[in-house]
Amino acid sequence: MDELELLKKDWKKQEEVFPKLSYNEIYKMILKKSSSMVKWIFIISVLEFLLWASVDISVRLSGDYDKLNVIELEGFSIVSTIISYGILIYFMIRFYLNYKRIQTTDSAKVLMQNILKTRRTVKYYVWTILSFLILNTIIFIGYLAIFTDTYSSQSEGEQVPVLLVVVSTIIGLGIFIGLIALFYRVIYGILTRRLKKNYKELEKLEV
Amino acid sequence: MNKELEHSFVTNLEQNQNIVHKVCRIYTSDRDSHNDLFQEITIQLWKAYPKFRGDAKFSTWMYRVALNTAITLYRRSKRSINTADIDEVNFKIKAEEYDDEVEQQLKLMYSAVKQLNDIEKALVFLYLEDKSYKEIAETMGISEVNARVKMNRVKTKLKKILNP
Repeated sequence: MDELELLKKDWKKQEEVFPKLSYNEIYKMILKKSSSMVKWIFIISVLEFLLWASVDISVRLSGDYDKLNVIELEGFSIVSTIISYGILIYFMIRFYLNYKRIQTTDSAKVLMQNILKTRRTVKYYVWTILSFLILNTIIFIGYLAIFTDTYSSQSEGEQVPVLLVVVSTIIGLGIFIGLIALFYRVIYGILTRRLKKNYKELEKLEV
Repeated sequence: MNKELEHSFVTNLEQNQNIVHKVCRIYTSDRDSHNDLFQEITIQLWKAYPKFRGDAKFSTWMYRVALNTAITLYRRSKRSINTADIDEVNFKIKAEEYDDEVEQQLKLMYSAVKQLNDIEKALVFLYLEDKSYKEIAETMGISEVNARVKMNRVKTKLKKILNP
């Protein structure tokens, strides 16, 4: 193509007009902090781990779970605590390993894959821990509503119909999940929109 | 970080800084974002430098890191504006070397390249740098056949932009 060849000739000439940075100017640059998206992904991911792990742990430490002992769910409480810490540790290790794999010296495609993989690990963590918390809540409320004396021994006047408890729990959880999903679409969308677009563009070539 | 490493890095980059300038030239449109991207590429090169073994040429190694930074890592700063007026601002082509027609054609060509997406720009950049399809494929992480196919598509796309 003629135009591109013409551009190629000019391309070489333009070196003369580029600014020439001195040794000291370049040296100053390496002392500055990066503002790359990987750094932002790392910061946001760590914040998310802290946030969701602290939600989970604070519920466990707040003493609410002690009440479970009263209603014969002690075994359930221990198992669920172990599982929740297990989930946290598993995902943090995976996150760390994926993050370590991000290298600017890889090819463009591999680099993008690794960044997306790292980001996805955090996403999976959030959804896993949320599902787990929700499952816990459902089991807890279900058990409370159907099997325990604590609930059925309340006086007739105070007693709320079981169906109402279940329905309102589901609606509450639904709204909660909806908000998280929305928040995710926005934050995750802003962060990785360009990356995903470019990755798709590279993938498209392979068809 | 040890001083020796710093010194060898800065010296290497000082000698090869044109590669970085050229990447900035393709991906940015004004002086501020040019400098901003140059800064980020320098940091990324420096971060990756301890892993540079010297088995490839420093310049060859730079292409990858610089392009990866421009395509993937760099977050455009707010002040960057997407216009094609960089020619006037930063890199005035020496008028005496070209007749008007050629200069006009070049200007159109540069603004056409600006309209390409990030990946296409990378391909054009490597092509302008006289890289083989093998090298282009390796840098982008795609097969050589696909690099050729895509390059042809880019050429067609450029033609369309120039002759709508």
